[in-house]
Amino acid sequence: MSGEPLLRATGIAAAMDRRYVLLDLDVSLHPGEIVAIAGPNGAGKTTLLRVLEGVRRPERGEVRLGGVPMHEASAASLARRVGVIGHHTGLYLDLSAVENLRLFATLAGRDLDAAAALAILADVGLARADACRPVRHYSRGMAQRAALARLLATGADIWLLDEPSTGLDREGCALLHRLLRDAADAGRALCVVSHDPALLEVADRVLHLVAGRLQAEEAA
Amino acid sequence: MSVGTTLRLTGALLRKDVRVAARSRETALLVLLFAVLCVLIFAFGFLREGAVAAEVVPGVLWVTLQFASTVALLRLFAAEEEAGALELALRSVAGPAPLFFSKALMQLLFSGMVTALVLPMVLVFFDATRIPLGATLAALALGLVGQALVGTLVSGLMVRVQMRDVLLPLVLYPILTPSLIAGVKVTAISIAGGSTEVIGTWLSLMVVFDAVFVLASPWLYARASTP
Repeated sequence: MSGEPLLRATGIAAAMDRRYVLLDLDVSLHPGEIVAIAGPNGAGKTTLLRVLEGVRRPERGEVRLGGVPMHEASAASLARRVGVIGHHTGLYLDLSAVENLRLFATLAGRDLDAAAALAILADVGLARADACRPVRHYSRGMAQRAALARLLATGADIWLLDEPSTGLDREGCALLHRLLRDAADAGRALCVVSHDPALLEVADRVLHLVAGRLQAEEAA
Repeated sequence: MSVGTTLRLTGALLRKDVRVAARSRETALLVLLFAVLCVLIFAFGFLREGAVAAEVVPGVLWVTLQFASTVALLRLFAAEEEAGALELALRSVAGPAPLFFSKALMQLLFSGMVTALVLPMVLVFFDATRIPLGATLAALALGLVGQALVGTLVSGLMVRVQMRDVLLPLVLYPILTPSLIAGVKVTAISIAGGSTEVIGTWLSLMVVFDAVFVLASPWLYARASTP
């Protein structure tokens, strides 16, 4: 992949309980690229994603956001550029999906009116009636769709997703694959942690982690 | 990031908290019920020969408010925890400051609500309806602001701490002690009809306490929330 990466991590080492869970990892995310991270449980995939997200500082190595060290990047830059779906959907349960989208768009420095939020939610398959109900009443799959809509609403150009197909039905998975590809085609850089073989097939590159080390890298 | 942006985002997060509190109602009900129970227990506890003494009013009032506000503090970040949204809310274009200020204002809203309920109850139950209230109200306002600032800081830092329910008051109350003593003194002197100069001195101490923590709390919170 040519060009300057949007996010680059070099020589990453991270420890937990005095044991290295990531060691000497290099990862770069280029615009228009989907990078998948695969590996067995406990391989360090989620830890790597949290390092890339900037919420966990590695013991060694550096993450750069558009050439700037992550810990020196401004709050505005992090909020505008990095979008995350972790193990939780990150949606307030007593707010509707529309209210959640508008709130997170505001936090990312964007104005999003209700009509625009509804349009984004329709794109992920949430009908108006559902979009206006509190998220507490959603199924896991519906909440996951709303979380994907949250990413779209914030306008981030780097997407970091941890098991994004969790709870999604077949139709939802197909929608997720299309969304990821569309996002990459729009110039975003995506990093997806997944065990889902179908999702790994959507990726341009697959990094296989074993015991915190990069064991293999496959290009699609 | 500009002050305007911070204020705008604080407003958005505060509206979210008010909406969540209005829809779930659990924290408000819990806090108000706890406050009422506290006052009733104190009222029965201080009953002597069929009457209660007004001199216990300062202690009962301030202790009830502190305890009830602590219950609210324990639930202050509950919506973020439940949603797994804490890191997302911290990462706004203005950094962690809007989250801190919105939570402090929400806490102030809860403790203001408790005060509106507890103060008349204490005055009626302890036969103290004729005491002058001006200085006490000023002390309550300053005390609640200080409690909201320090409480939000401690509660925010302890979001992921095990045994937080036990540790929060243990950390919080020693820090609040100067403000708490000053508040109790103002109420006591006011009831006893003491000098306004002494009341002024205690109120000044509370102003200084709040001024220190209005600057220190958001700064410390931002430092501790940034990896």
